[in-house]
Amino acid sequence: MVIYDDIMYWLVLIFAESHPYSDWIRGILGGLVIGAVFGGALVMVYLERKFLGDIQSRIGPNRVGGRYGVLQLIADAIKLFTKEDIIPANADKWLFIGAPIVALTSGFLMVAVLPFDYLLINGSYYAVNVTRMDISILYLEAVSGLAVFAIFMAGWGSGSKYSMLGGFRNIAKMIGYEIPLGVSIISVAIMAQSLDIVEIVEAQDFLWNIMIHPLAFIVFGICLVADVGRIPFDQTESEEEIIAGWATEYSGMRWGLAFFAEYLHAVVGSFMVALIFLGGWNGLPIVGNLYIPGIFWLIIKTIMVIMFFIWTRGALPRYRIDQVVDLGWKCLLPLSLLCLVWSTIIGLVFG
Amino acid sequence: MATDKTIMVELTDAFSDAISDVDVPSANRAEARIDSSKVTEIMQFLRDKGFDHLSCISGVDYPPDKMEVVYHVTSYSAPLVITLKATLPRDDPNIDSLCDIYWNANWYERETWEMFGIVFNDCPYLKVLILPEEMDGEWPMRRDYAGYPNAT
Amino acid sequence: MTHENTQITSPPSPSEILLHLGPQHPLQPGPFLLDLKIDGETIREAELKIGYIHKGMEKVFEDRTYIQIMPLTDRICYLASNANNDVYCRAVEELLGIEPTPRAKYLRVIANELNRIQSHLLGIGEYTTDVGFLTMFIYMVRERESIVSLLEAITGSRLNHNYARFGGVANDLPPNYKSMALKTLGEIGKLVKSHDEMMSSDSIYLKRTKGVGVLTDKVASELGVAGPPLRATGVEYDLRRIEPYLVYDDLDFKVITQQDGDVFSRVKVRLLEIQESIYIIEQCLDQIPSGPYKQHVTPYITRPKVGEVYTRIEDPRGELGMYLVSDGSNKPYRFRIRGPAFATAQALPPLLIGTYMADVAAIAASMDSCTSEVDR
Repeated sequence: MVIYDDIMYWLVLIFAESHPYSDWIRGILGGLVIGAVFGGALVMVYLERKFLGDIQSRIGPNRVGGRYGVLQLIADAIKLFTKEDIIPANADKWLFIGAPIVALTSGFLMVAVLPFDYLLINGSYYAVNVTRMDISILYLEAVSGLAVFAIFMAGWGSGSKYSMLGGFRNIAKMIGYEIPLGVSIISVAIMAQSLDIVEIVEAQDFLWNIMIHPLAFIVFGICLVADVGRIPFDQTESEEEIIAGWATEYSGMRWGLAFFAEYLHAVVGSFMVALIFLGGWNGLPIVGNLYIPGIFWLIIKTIMVIMFFIWTRGALPRYRIDQVVDLGWKCLLPLSLLCLVWSTIIGLVFG
Repeated sequence: MATDKTIMVELTDAFSDAISDVDVPSANRAEARIDSSKVTEIMQFLRDKGFDHLSCISGVDYPPDKMEVVYHVTSYSAPLVITLKATLPRDDPNIDSLCDIYWNANWYERETWEMFGIVFNDCPYLKVLILPEEMDGEWPMRRDYAGYPNAT
Repeated sequence: MTHENTQITSPPSPSEILLHLGPQHPLQPGPFLLDLKIDGETIREAELKIGYIHKGMEKVFEDRTYIQIMPLTDRICYLASNANNDVYCRAVEELLGIEPTPRAKYLRVIANELNRIQSHLLGIGEYTTDVGFLTMFIYMVRERESIVSLLEAITGSRLNHNYARFGGVANDLPPNYKSMALKTLGEIGKLVKSHDEMMSSDSIYLKRTKGVGVLTDKVASELGVAGPPLRATGVEYDLRRIEPYLVYDDLDFKVITQQDGDVFSRVKVRLLEIQESIYIIEQCLDQIPSGPYKQHVTPYITRPKVGEVYTRIEDPRGELGMYLVSDGSNKPYRFRIRGPAFATAQALPPLLIGTYMADVAAIAASMDSCTSEVDR
């Protein structure tokens, strides 16, 4: 791991505020990280196809790129790029075009504050991330809320009744779920006494938050599944009810982008779960890192969360929209308030 | 509740002037020819006697002068199927609707109307069901239908 | 039950949307147009328009000889093709005044019940996708595959069997069929049981299905439906029991009923009927007599005497009837198909009123309608 430490050492030198090219380097790092998360979303799509295939006793992609079908996604992307780009006649053109862009942007903006590792060099700690923000948790929540607008833009701008129903459903759902999502994060932030995601991870070096605060994990997990719109909560694009919901009128790469933005959100959401509740780069609880670099721990944990997402899709039917809203307001909101009480108690006793 | 063959005797007794050609070919089948003007009364009688399931309504065309509407009435608790036939004049076929007695008569009547041109008086929403609207009035199931050239 | 609830009577008010669900929609097994007037997510009025794949079969059959019609009856509903064969064949047999041989009767029952199993499996599968349970669909199709293979071994084809013949059947059982069938059916029985448990123990599934689209026994019989939707309300109406045909008299089976009449019970009835059909087939394979499987002499040209007949059969979807009028020629004078899906499709709009958009998929699929047969 000497090479790894060397690279990190130089990166950290550059990250230091004093360095004249710090902003440029961070910009390049941002590009790299976006690429990496993009790649992560690709991996997730592939994993989903294979793993879901396993659950459903199918093989999954097995033709393009050898018997494991690793190049299937490339083939799909080529197909999407070469398809005709249709904008419906009665669509609101700018909203229609803008929606996938906003959705992707929201995903990319979230990436900006995600820390990937934490390095101890010359006695000081440096988080490897694009931007260090002392309110990064609030920022993450705010930016992820942009995706709701994207979906409503698509739903309204498509000029189709099915799309509009999808957009309505999304708004109805997300109003109910953003609140418990926010409150459960805040309850964790209270325990760490910081709104900075780096410090929240740092506070988990001995015990993960999932052990101290399992309730917040459950609330956050459910809300996150709803937030990224995966299967028990995919009412916005439930095929048998409203065709593809807000994405009904999209075709070609525009649809591809909108679809991909969802996966991007899922990947970033998985990172958030791994960082906030599963200890981030801190390895295992109590025993620590076991000489494996933190970033690998983080990636392993993220992949586990992603697998959980895929598993729920294979194992559960879909809620009805009124049941979803009921669950959000009548069950998750009180639970999230309970989270707040619990973390206040913890804070008072141990803080 | 007489849902066996004795119903035919009761039916003949009750509507002696409107029923003819009563026949009971087998244990589970009975048939009769009815007067088309009495169809609602007869059906109401059958329904009251426990024949609560209208299985089917069919039209049969006998050119040049007559048409038949065939009702298959049965019960949810007995195997007897009563076949009732009403003969109509072919130039002006019309018969009372059964929709108020059997709810599911609606679609059968609409189908028979669009295929044969048999008008069911008081049938709610008597409009084309299966055929496209431009074929309204073609009566394609009549025996002398010559086809629908160059119009579809 | 009035007739107003089958129609959209007024244009939508400013708070309502008129939604055309179809003719092409992922929920549908075939093309039909379901017009819904919705207020938010609640359905105010519904109207069903059919006829998008009208094939004019009744007219076509008037121009075909009796034996030519046999393979065409498969196409009435491809999932219940054997039931269609069988009821047509019994109608012509009754007109001709012949009886199938004893072995042929058992063979037809076996084919019918296999057909029922595969139709139910696919019906449940389609339904589970409509509540978002994609995995179960693929399990059901996987199970159906082996049933279809069993059917293929008897009839020679997988979907359109064309199996019944006047007075007999087309093929005898292949060698070693009994052991093969018993093994497969035993496995399928166990798998379907475990799927049943998996579905009934899933709380989201229960939430989606319990108390949704409730038909009471009174309303169901008023609407004229038959088959699993009616039996789910507690009415023991099964033509195999009420009007036993072929050898159902000699077989031991229960008429499956459920009491609630909701979406859950309709699917439960199908799941339990699969087990019952397996039991029937096992009995048939035990009791089947040896002997000829078709009539010794089959007339080359079938010319029934003048007359008419109405035969009924318990199709996987309900009561399938055929009304055949013969004028003594080699072609039927009038051929009327009373499809079970036609009856259940007619009952769909009143069921939808007052439910949510998402329940449309669940209710429509739980009625297991077959558009091909609705339109004929």
